[in-house]
Amino acid sequence: MSGAPTSTPPRGGRTRPSRHWVSDFQHWEIATIHQLEHYLRTNRFYGLLGFVVVISGLSLGFQVDAGVAAVRVEQLYRTSEYLSNFLAYTPLWIILAAAFFGGDALSIDFSSGTGYYTLVLPIRRPVLLAGRYAAAALVTLAIAGVYYAFALAGAIYFFSASSVPWAHVATSFGVAALFALAALSVAFCVSAFLHSPAAGVLVTVLALYVGFTVLQSVLELAGLEPWFSLPYAGGAMATVLDTDFIHQQNVPLGADQYYIVWVATVTEGVLIMAGYVAAFLPLSAYLYQRKESTG
Amino acid sequence: MNMGSFEVRHLSKSFRAGAPALRDLSFRYEGAGAVGYLGPNGAGKTTTLKLLVGLLRPSSGHAFLNGVDPMVDRKRALWDVGALIETPEPYPTLNVHEALDHVGRARGLSRDDVDGEVDRCHELLDLPPLGHRIGWLSKGQRQRVAIAAALMGDPSVLLLDEPTSGLDPAERVVVRRLLYRLKRDHLVFMSTHQMVDVTEVCDDLIFLHRGRVLVRDRLDRVAGRIHSRQVDVEFARPVPTEGLAEVRALATQVTAVSERRLRISFDGHDETRVRLLELCRNLGPVIQFASTSLALEEAYVELIAQTSEAS
Repeated sequence: MSGAPTSTPPRGGRTRPSRHWVSDFQHWEIATIHQLEHYLRTNRFYGLLGFVVVISGLSLGFQVDAGVAAVRVEQLYRTSEYLSNFLAYTPLWIILAAAFFGGDALSIDFSSGTGYYTLVLPIRRPVLLAGRYAAAALVTLAIAGVYYAFALAGAIYFFSASSVPWAHVATSFGVAALFALAALSVAFCVSAFLHSPAAGVLVTVLALYVGFTVLQSVLELAGLEPWFSLPYAGGAMATVLDTDFIHQQNVPLGADQYYIVWVATVTEGVLIMAGYVAAFLPLSAYLYQRKESTG
Repeated sequence: MNMGSFEVRHLSKSFRAGAPALRDLSFRYEGAGAVGYLGPNGAGKTTTLKLLVGLLRPSSGHAFLNGVDPMVDRKRALWDVGALIETPEPYPTLNVHEALDHVGRARGLSRDDVDGEVDRCHELLDLPPLGHRIGWLSKGQRQRVAIAAALMGDPSVLLLDEPTSGLDPAERVVVRRLLYRLKRDHLVFMSTHQMVDVTEVCDDLIFLHRGRVLVRDRLDRVAGRIHSRQVDVEFARPVPTEGLAEVRALATQVTAVSERRLRISFDGHDETRVRLLELCRNLGPVIQFASTSLALEEAYVELIAQTSEAS
């Protein structure tokens, strides 16, 4: 060897398998499918799916038990109001799914042997990240889609299929998709920053749900609009369907006292979500690219 | 076929200030053959391999795979390289075929060629059933799958970090024979603690200690530097114990391995070796009188001891 190895005789008469150069887009497809195959067999996917089905089913079941008339009175006789109320909880499911599927999506490469399997392949890390991001987005949207299906089933049962504002529902789901991308961007960034997968999931839930919700409440008491909060932006999913939408509402507390409740407009919500994607996704890619396998 | 190569050039790596894990490492290999990478735990062997594949960033210097720095273009650098580093773990939810399919397709194999390569690896390494999930496999089975992943697509350079770790003796033999065949037309760089892996597979050796190269040479020359201090003697008939007094007087230790076999430790001098052979012949017909395969291990221990004393 030169060091020294010398000649390169044929491989025992065996023909070497032909290999074609793989574009980044093809690698992205391979990474996405690989990650999807994994996610769709995990306990966390079926656990979260089951949880959504049970909670949504119970909600719908109680409403059915109360009767059509009662629900119609409660929901102001309008299908869109019913859907808006039902879908107001969608951000919770999406944040949970984003934390479950994004919170450890990158840290797993540096905390277990997964990275020694995938990071030695000739795939650029940002492409690997993009594949995992796409797979996580698809499973997150699958979870959200199940919740939307329950909402639509209720709307059709209590009102009628013809009364469902399909275009608004589609728009709302589109906003939900953007919200999922924003939540996943934060989760991926947390995952790229931390070493522990469990910590990544926990920090994502704490930051996106508990942290922002508490901060939002405090700011509202101070009369400030929580324009930076992702859960606040998530309200846009319901706002799309809310015909009596009010952006800023004064809620009386007593004599001459009130506090302000803010609800994001659709445009505002979409801009906040897009901002989160624009800020956190490139940061995730940068951190992931720089991260070393020191374990 | 492309000639594979790997190179490190003035490579250094520190994980914390004042404690370099690697210091100014430089070597280059090209073509076909096998290079053993030896050193005690913490010497920097795995760190070198991680730097080669871009899992770590050098503090200074460069690593090259097939002439490409993985810090500059990871995809091109790793394109024709199979690497087994630490304990690779495919997702436990995937089955063996899916785990290998992912690697094969990432390396540019068509679906048909992936199946062909999986069959080849299955045959070479006696892989577990392809439909079994990774999470169900034993440690040894996972290690064989990881080796198969490194071989998928038949890359010209193989970087292997303790490839026989976690394998049972029979599996180790299979892997060693495989590596021996592969080195004829691949460039294999193998870190290991198993001396027998090195003696049976490698042509060249690099001894690493505290992040520095102690010795880099042909395997036979390294082992030859240190005279073996142990011989195994096999007799045609059971050895009469009463006739061993003279042998014991010359040796530092005599161990009866069986009725017909002795292991004799001595000072390592050739004159003593010749005298021992004569004495053994006096005891009865000798079938075999050979230095033990520990020669390299002795060289290794001696080198480390010498370095420790010097420092």
